[in-house]
Amino acid sequence: MSTHATKPAAKRKVPHSHGEADAAKVRRRSPTRVNPALYLFPLPAVAIIAFFLVMPTLQAFQYAITDWNGFSAAFNYVGLDNFIRAFTSDSLFTNALANNLKFVLLVVIAQTLFSLILALMLTKNSRGSILLRALFFFPTILSSVSVAFIWKFIYDPNFGLANSVLGAVGLEALQGSYLGNNAQALYWVAVTQVWFHAGQMMVVYIAGLQSIPRELYEAAEMDGAGKWQQFKSITWPFVAPATSIVVAYTTVQSFKAFDLILGIAGNPPKQSLDILSTRIYSTFANSEFGYAAAQSIIFMAMIALVTWLQRRLLRLTPKGE
Amino acid sequence: MSQISRRQAIALLGALGFGASAAACAGPGGTTAPGGATGPAAPTTGNITGKVSFAHWRGEDKVVFDELVKRFAALHDGVEVAQDISTSNDYNAQALQKLRGGSIGDAFATFRGAQFKNFTDAGIYTDLKDSKAAGNYQPGLLAAGKSGDSQLGLPYQVVFPMPMANVDLFDKAGAEIAPKDWDSFLAMCEKLAASGVIPISWPGGDVGNGGQLFNCMIANNAPVDDMCAQIEQGKLKVTDDWFIKMLNQYKDLVPYLQPNATGTAVEPAQNLFSQGQAAMLATGSYHIAAVRGLGAQFPIELVFPNTSDGNGKYEGAYNATFILGVNSASKNQAAAAAWIDFLSEPENAGYYANQTAQHVSVNNVEYTNPDLKRLSPWLEKKTALAARFQFQNLDVRNAVEASATAVISGTSPEQAAEAAQKIVDERL
Repeated sequence: MSTHATKPAAKRKVPHSHGEADAAKVRRRSPTRVNPALYLFPLPAVAIIAFFLVMPTLQAFQYAITDWNGFSAAFNYVGLDNFIRAFTSDSLFTNALANNLKFVLLVVIAQTLFSLILALMLTKNSRGSILLRALFFFPTILSSVSVAFIWKFIYDPNFGLANSVLGAVGLEALQGSYLGNNAQALYWVAVTQVWFHAGQMMVVYIAGLQSIPRELYEAAEMDGAGKWQQFKSITWPFVAPATSIVVAYTTVQSFKAFDLILGIAGNPPKQSLDILSTRIYSTFANSEFGYAAAQSIIFMAMIALVTWLQRRLLRLTPKGE
Repeated sequence: MSQISRRQAIALLGALGFGASAAACAGPGGTTAPGGATGPAAPTTGNITGKVSFAHWRGEDKVVFDELVKRFAALHDGVEVAQDISTSNDYNAQALQKLRGGSIGDAFATFRGAQFKNFTDAGIYTDLKDSKAAGNYQPGLLAAGKSGDSQLGLPYQVVFPMPMANVDLFDKAGAEIAPKDWDSFLAMCEKLAASGVIPISWPGGDVGNGGQLFNCMIANNAPVDDMCAQIEQGKLKVTDDWFIKMLNQYKDLVPYLQPNATGTAVEPAQNLFSQGQAAMLATGSYHIAAVRGLGAQFPIELVFPNTSDGNGKYEGAYNATFILGVNSASKNQAAAAAWIDFLSEPENAGYYANQTAQHVSVNNVEYTNPDLKRLSPWLEKKTALAARFQFQNLDVRNAVEASATAVISGTSPEQAAEAAQKIVDERL
C-alpha cells in the first residue's frame, strides 16, 4: 500500500525521460496551445469574408486613386485627385452630401420622436394597442420599391391622393406639386421614409419601455412626480439604450435610402433629391468607376463620423463602451 | 499532426489577408478590350444552334419578341433565344458591366449616344459592316451605329421624340396641327386652352421622358447640329444667347402645361392625354402603344414645337435607337448574328413594327398599324436627329436639361443657365 501511495509523488518530482520533460516545458510555456485542426474551422468564414468583403473593400481603396472607367484595360493612378475633386470641384457631389445630411437630420429627429411617441401610447398590451402596433409596423414589411410607388401616387399633383383629399375638403390652396417643388421635395421624401420605418423603431422602443419596472412609476407617483417628471427621470434614462439603437440605425438607413429615392424620383433623381448613394450610382453609371469608388469611401467615412458624433453628442453610451 | 501556436495561426491568417490584399490590388481593368489593335472583327461563323441571350430594355415588347423567337427557332434546329430584359434605367446603368463577360447578351441592344460610345470603347461590338442584316437598313439611318469605318450596331427603331397630338381635340378647338413658327405654336396652344383642355401634358417629374421635348426645342435654336457635343466640349455654352432664347421659349409654355407639371410622372401624364384631358403628350411616338393600352381611341398625330421664326432648318425630330449588336465576348456569335439577321428581314421587322407601334429603320417594311401608317410621312420629312443623345456625360446632359425644368418651375432662364453651365464647366 505504502509503495503504491508514494509513486505518484516521485513521478511529479523526477521526470521519467527527456521527452516528457520537453512536453511539460511546452505546456508551461504556452498554455494556449490547441490542436491545429481547430484553426481550420474558421477558415471557410474567413475565406468568405476575405473574398466578399475584404477584397472588394481593398479594391475600392485602390480604384479610388485611379481614373479607371470601369471597363478599359488602361488606367492611371491619380493619387488623391478624386477625393479633392469631390470636395472642391463637383457641385453635384457637394449638393448630394448637403441633401443627405439634411435628410438624415430630418429623418433621425422625426422618426425618433414619432416612434417614441407611438411606443409611449402603445406600450400596454391591450387588444387595441396590439392591433395598432401591427398596423404601424406593417409598412416595414413592404419593399422599398412598393413604398416608393405608393407615395409616388399619393404625391402626384394630378391624380394623387394628397391633392384629391385637399380638394375634397375645400383646401385647394394647399394643393401642391410635392416632389416637383425643388424646395420641398426632400421633406416629402423624408415623410415617406418616416412612415416606412417608424413602426420598426416603435417596436424597439416598446421593448425598452416594457422592461422598466412598474414599481418605479408607483414610487414616483407616491412622491408626487408628474407625468413629465416621470418621463424625464425614469422613462428616458431607461430607454436611452433603445434610443441609441434607434438613432444609429435610422442614421445608417437614411444615408442609404437609395432604393426609396430611385423609386420615388426616378433614375437619375433630380438634383434636389440626389443623395450620396444615388450620386455614387450616377457616377458609376457615367463610367467613372475610380471616382465613384472615391465617393463611396467618403460616404462610408461620413456614416461612421456622423454615427460616432451622434453617440458622443447625445451621450447615449458611457465612455469606453 | 504538430501543434501550432496562436501566434502562428494569426501569422497564417495574416498571410491569407495579405494574399487577398495583393489579389485585390492586382489592378482594375485586368482584361484587354476585345478587338485589340486591329479593331472590331466580324462575328465568328459556325452552326446556328445553341442558346442565344438577347439583352435589351423593352419589357413591353417581350411578347412580340417571343413570337419572333418562335419563328426563328422554327428555321434553325436546336437554337434557343432567351430574352434578358432590364428596365431602361437599369439597362443604361448596368448593361456594360453585365455584358462584357459574354455570358449574358450574345445579341443586345444599346441606346444611341453615351451607352453606344461606352460599349464601343469597351470593345463589346463586333463589326456588322459585311453582314446580311446591314444591307436591309436605310443607309441614312445607319449612322447612329457607326464608329469609323465599322458598322458596330444596327439602329432598329425610328422614334419621333415629339409631342403626340389628339387630333379630335385639335379639330374641336380649330387649332393648327402643323405650326410653322413659334408664334403659331403658341397660338395653337392658346386655342386649345380656350377650348377647355390642357394643351400639353408634360412629365416634368421624369427626367428621361420629360427631356424628350428638349430635342424639339433645341433643333432650330442651335447654331450647329452637334450643339450638345459642343456644349459638352466647352465650345458652346448654355449661357449663350441662343440657349437663353430657348429657355425663354420653355417659359412661354408654362401657361399651357398641366398644373404642377414639374411634379408629374410619366404615367399620370399619359393618363391626362389618353383620357382626353390634354391635347398633347410631350414625350414621343414611342408612347403610342402605351396610350392605346390606356384606352385612347382618338387619331394620333405628331406636332413639332417649331421654335423658329418660320425659317427653321428642321420640321421635326427623330431618333434612331435600339441599336442591335453582336457581343464580341459571346461564345455563340454565329447564332447571335443570325438572330440579328432574322430581326432585320423586312417581314420580321414589319411584324415587330406593327405589333409595337414603332417605326423601324429596315427598308421595304409594310406598315399596317393605323398609327404607323398615319405617322409614316414623318419618315420622309426633314427631321433633326435627337440632340440630347449627343451628350456622352450623363451628368452634363441632366444638368443641361434640368435648366429647362428649372425655368418651368419659375427660375429665370439666366439663373437656370448659369447653374447648368457651372456643372458643365466642372466636367470639361
